[in-house]
Amino acid sequence: MTMDFLFSHLQKVSRLNWGIFFILLLVAAVGWGLLISAAGGDFHHWAFKQVVRFIVGITIMFFLALIDLRWWLHFSYVFYGIALFLLGGVEFLGFIGKGGQRWIDLYIIQLQPSELMKIALVMALARYFHSQSSPIPFYKLLFPLFLIIAPVLLVLRQPDLGTAMILMMGGGSLFFLAGVSLWYFGAALLVGGACSPILWNFLHDYQKKRILTFFDPTQDLLKTGYHITQSKIALGSGGFWGKGYMQGTQAYLNFLPEKQTDFIFTLLCEEWGFVGGFFLLSLYVLLIVMGFRITLTTQNDFGRFVAAGMTMTFFLYAFINVAMVMGLVPVVGVPLPLVSYGGTAMLTILMGFGFLLSVGLHRNIKIPQLSIGVF
Amino acid sequence: MIDKKDTQFLRRALFLGIIQIGLVIILLGRMYYLQIFEGSYYRLLAEGNRIATRPLVPLRGQIYDRNKIPLAQNETSFRAILLTDKKDEVEETLNTLSDLISLPREEKEETIRMARKKKGLDSLIIKDNLTWEEVSAIELHASELPGVSIEVGSRRKYPLKLEGAHLLGYVSSPSEKEQEEDPMLTISGLKVGKGGVEKFYDRQLRGIPGHSAFEVNATRKIVRELHQTPSVPGEDIHLTIDARLQDYAQDVLSNYESASAVVIDIQTGGILALVSVPAFDPNLFPQGISHKDWGQLRDNPYVPMTNKAISGLYPPGSTIKLLVALAALQSGVINEDTPVHCPGYMYIGNHKFHCYRKEGHGTVNVSRAISESCDVFFYEVAKKVGIETLSKVFTDFGIGLGGLEGFPHLKKGLVPTKTWKKEKKKTNWTVSDTILTSIGQGYMLATPLELAVATARLVAGGKRLLPRLEGQESSSFPGMGYNEAYLKLITEAMDETVNKPTGTAFRNRIQVAGKEMGGKTGTSQVRRISMQEREAGLTKTFHLPWKYREHGLFVGFAPVHAPRYVIAVVVEHAGGPALAIQAARDILLQAQLLEKDAAS
Repeated sequence: MTMDFLFSHLQKVSRLNWGIFFILLLVAAVGWGLLISAAGGDFHHWAFKQVVRFIVGITIMFFLALIDLRWWLHFSYVFYGIALFLLGGVEFLGFIGKGGQRWIDLYIIQLQPSELMKIALVMALARYFHSQSSPIPFYKLLFPLFLIIAPVLLVLRQPDLGTAMILMMGGGSLFFLAGVSLWYFGAALLVGGACSPILWNFLHDYQKKRILTFFDPTQDLLKTGYHITQSKIALGSGGFWGKGYMQGTQAYLNFLPEKQTDFIFTLLCEEWGFVGGFFLLSLYVLLIVMGFRITLTTQNDFGRFVAAGMTMTFFLYAFINVAMVMGLVPVVGVPLPLVSYGGTAMLTILMGFGFLLSVGLHRNIKIPQLSIGVF
Repeated sequence: MIDKKDTQFLRRALFLGIIQIGLVIILLGRMYYLQIFEGSYYRLLAEGNRIATRPLVPLRGQIYDRNKIPLAQNETSFRAILLTDKKDEVEETLNTLSDLISLPREEKEETIRMARKKKGLDSLIIKDNLTWEEVSAIELHASELPGVSIEVGSRRKYPLKLEGAHLLGYVSSPSEKEQEEDPMLTISGLKVGKGGVEKFYDRQLRGIPGHSAFEVNATRKIVRELHQTPSVPGEDIHLTIDARLQDYAQDVLSNYESASAVVIDIQTGGILALVSVPAFDPNLFPQGISHKDWGQLRDNPYVPMTNKAISGLYPPGSTIKLLVALAALQSGVINEDTPVHCPGYMYIGNHKFHCYRKEGHGTVNVSRAISESCDVFFYEVAKKVGIETLSKVFTDFGIGLGGLEGFPHLKKGLVPTKTWKKEKKKTNWTVSDTILTSIGQGYMLATPLELAVATARLVAGGKRLLPRLEGQESSSFPGMGYNEAYLKLITEAMDETVNKPTGTAFRNRIQVAGKEMGGKTGTSQVRRISMQEREAGLTKTFHLPWKYREHGLFVGFAPVHAPRYVIAVVVEHAGGPALAIQAARDILLQAQLLEKDAAS
């Protein structure tokens, strides 16, 4: 029995998508190199912790990957429930930091429930749509809409525009894949557009400022516009080949804000130029392509929804962050996946890849639609 | 069912994939645009972020006298400088600073104004000449004063103080107009010469600024210096001035309200002393003069800011008779014995011209006319010589030419001619004009420097001597074609003026054997003595209010038998020449004593 169990798991390990692991390792390594540079050549300042986090994260990833997908199907609402509870918890337990109550201090690791929620939402929606047949009537969309709106409202309260965007766009793309009529999307856009002046009033002043600054960064060069202007200077001054490793003047002289977290892509582009930026984006594209391959080759609905959702979430992370530092979207506080300094984003993303790998391992199993409606 | 759902999923997944590819292409395009299309622009911005340059103010050249005594030096000073490109923070920083050190409001506003004018990151001097207490206060509160640092600099010091004021001028921050003309002067902390030698030799003294480029971080702290182009110090200037004589002359003249003197060495043309009284302390200026001090200087009735030795214009009075005599001799109108009878007056038409001696001189020749200053002799002679010849001789001897071309505030005297009068006064020249000119009154004006130069040219044997302030070597000056016998006759008459009991300066002669002086006295009227006053017995002006009294003049040389030093002294409103003669006597004697010191 135990031998069988061990054997089946060893067999699973051999069937794992090692290509994904290899690229994840490469991306993380790029991040370590940048963190060493950001710390002025000091490995222990940031990079060491990030290596430890990666090792912990990758272990968790493999652990999640080996667990049977059907188990995850049953566990997904619980997972979502826990994430939603924690997200509500930061309202009461969280502490103020970085302009938002985004953290729960678990003593060992500072946890961002909003990060967990990005995965939990994908799981919950995948489970829900797994049980639905196309076309889905409108009343059956109310529950998954609630699944999205509840955490979105909570993260907006924190306030965390970036997570809200990822949750809405990630969730929305699952709606789209589930075959929800395009008319609904059109209607949602109309309603959203009509409501935006009202929503504007709910935004914090600094968020309004960020959005206004996005449209005209020169208006407020020394305060809100400072980040994006300096970021563009750093990025642009990198040129084609870059200034060379550890030679980034903008970062080294502290002109670059948050150079180890949200703006680390700028550091890469300053020191490694267009070549460096292109290299990292290519790695991201490779991961997304691999995610897509799993999505398209998976036989069961739950699996492909999970794969598509995780891939989409990962894409959104990368896209929003890179677009943000290049001044294409407002500064919303989304880290560069696997590269930015920070524990929970790393953990979330590797967990996401854990689920993706699990889907990949179990792509051929058939999972029947659950007879019980919602739960 | 399942198949239909599958195709829809596939289609939509593909659609999402295409959107993602599109978005990635947008990112790459943006990256290409920023890094390659606009890369050089952003590189420039990054450099601007990173590199701040600070001009290095060159050390100003020092000024020495002929014996290498320093007249203008540089002294170490500490100053607070501000390095920032955040203009809106300047005022706040200065407010914090003014709690720590005394910072007058005008200075604060000036710094803010300068900060607004400068582009990018540049350094500004907030306050110069900090005391030790202020330096330590700033260092202690460095964290509250972003961009403020202490710099070691130099400040100008004038050891001679009052004695050097007019001669040396002073240095001060350049005016806005000067900065527009020469952008180099916009460098914070660079001082330029204002007046005197400091301005005359400003180009040489100033030096060439260097600059230091250094890397700064986002909080404007200097990380390291990248490169430095050192400044080139200004050249030192060695003047012909003898500081001890300058000092002494200033002391002598300080006994009077308002006076000036010039001493020239006829061997070189070098100016040994150039003094104007009252003076001011040039040390007040390099650090910025206070409003109170400036007000006092400006409102003083004796105009301490004016260097009267070069810009005071006076009717030369009887001192001009030397040149009138030379003109008459040279043109053959008289010879050394030609007699003229002086009854104490002369009529031209029905206008009566008085001699300075009311009872007349009797019959005089040219020597006596000079030594006893007979006006009637010169009236008669001038009438025959004519104004054209007179003005040519005056001009030959440097009257109306200034003397030190380009020296700040230098004025030129006036030698009237027929055409000049026609142009300026719109009337014809009359004999009366010639007669007034022959005794240095009327339209004629000269500066003390011009009088000294004219005398030097006479005493030096009719050579075209040029006055100068720099250089020690003796010069041979070209002759001007005047008969040396006549020149000798005139210098002998000057000897008699001082050393013959009948001479006008006899009472104030130098009584040290071998060091005697020769000279000519002069009195120049500030206003005409009216007929009524003359009838009331008033021919002298001692008891008139100060500003109506006559100026006292004296030009002289020493030693009388081997002339070397020439002097011109003007004592304003002295009521007569006595004070000027006394001053000249003391200064000429001192010049000879100092020479002996130097020799031994």
